[in-house]
Amino acid sequence: MKTEQPVIEINHLVRRYGRADAVNGLSLSVRAGSCFGFFGRNGAGKTTTIKCLLNLLKPTLGSISVFGMNPAENEVAVKKRLAYVPDQVAFYPWMTVRDTLNYFASFRERWNQQTEKNLLGQFRLDPSEKVNGLSKGQKTQLALISAICPEPELLVLDEPTSGLDPIVRREFIQTVIGAYQEADPANRTVFVSTHLISEFEGLIDEFVIIEDGREKLALGADAAREKFKKIRARFSGDVPAMQMPGILDSRRDGRDLEIIANGEAANIMNRLRAHSPESLTSESLTLEDIFAVTLK
Amino acid sequence: MLIQVNFKSGKPVYLQVVDQIKAAAASGGVRPGEPLPSIRPLAEQLRINRNTVAKAFTELESQGIVEAIPGKGYFLSENNSPFKKEVRHKMLTEEIDAAIVQAHHLQVSDEDFLALVKKRLGIFEEKNKRAERG
Repeated sequence: MKTEQPVIEINHLVRRYGRADAVNGLSLSVRAGSCFGFFGRNGAGKTTTIKCLLNLLKPTLGSISVFGMNPAENEVAVKKRLAYVPDQVAFYPWMTVRDTLNYFASFRERWNQQTEKNLLGQFRLDPSEKVNGLSKGQKTQLALISAICPEPELLVLDEPTSGLDPIVRREFIQTVIGAYQEADPANRTVFVSTHLISEFEGLIDEFVIIEDGREKLALGADAAREKFKKIRARFSGDVPAMQMPGILDSRRDGRDLEIIANGEAANIMNRLRAHSPESLTSESLTLEDIFAVTLK
Repeated sequence: MLIQVNFKSGKPVYLQVVDQIKAAAASGGVRPGEPLPSIRPLAEQLRINRNTVAKAFTELESQGIVEAIPGKGYFLSENNSPFKKEVRHKMLTEEIDAAIVQAHHLQVSDEDFLALVKKRLGIFEEKNKRAERG
């Protein structure tokens, strides 16, 4: 599966607005069937990158390939196979939920009626209701339903959960991605841009963290949690001075020491053990913590 | 069988699922021939990617712990491990060595260590008996 063509491949992408570099030499590759997290603060260059992917913006430099094609040259062929949910969803306010879904379906070769029915039921969306009367969360649900019913091979989500109720958003993201990947998991790829990472913790296979339009960290989720550790030690006397590779950050308070390790956790633990601590524990950082320490 | 994942444990998520299903099988929480939860509901319940659950099941299948029945899902195998006895012993030896190293660092004596192993074996046996009685 690893030798297969990536669904998205970006090489040294640069996109300038006047003199400002929104994206500045970004490369990434997204494997078919994976759920790829595209993480960065607001203004890091996420939306600009996505717009280049969709041929809504032209790259200043660098290359982009989606399904092995250049989206600028094969716009229709690429867009047929993907669905995009922008951070601000907009519908025609006079249409009902039913009209809106029919309208989106009219542009598509395929439309899974069963998925539509199931999700409308699960989200308790009334097909006869005017879109105007929907809450922000319901509008996002409607946008997600219209994105997955055509059964695209690639689902691009730009900040899908920002501005929504925290409990609701977690659940429906899980439901939508579950429904999306169910039929043909090997050919259902999710590319999700967000700064609200904890909601996607378990869903992400691989991710890249970007800042100032550049990669800061790219790893698999499990590998990242294996690499970044929080180590806590308590000593009976003075806390030893620790200076060695892999220590990203450390805090001390009385006899307690807390170290954030970026790799080398085993070596750091061994060194601490040599000072006979009263207690010594370590835990992995969550992706959200990793995001925070990487951008610190 | 209730599975829990902990993103802070440092163990890959799919391995956490593998280990918990193996533990449930060893203690009678799932019995041979019984179905395992299907992938999508389990993924949704644990809030993890279906790829992760699928990877866990594939791993369990390769270890001979579960069997895939096309169209029906995964079931706990009736058969035992596909590995030869020597291989099985070698796999276990590595785990035991890790526990011995840990016992040394925690200053647990050999006698206490062995007593603890016996106690744990007893607990699993007890759980199994309870599961059989239903």
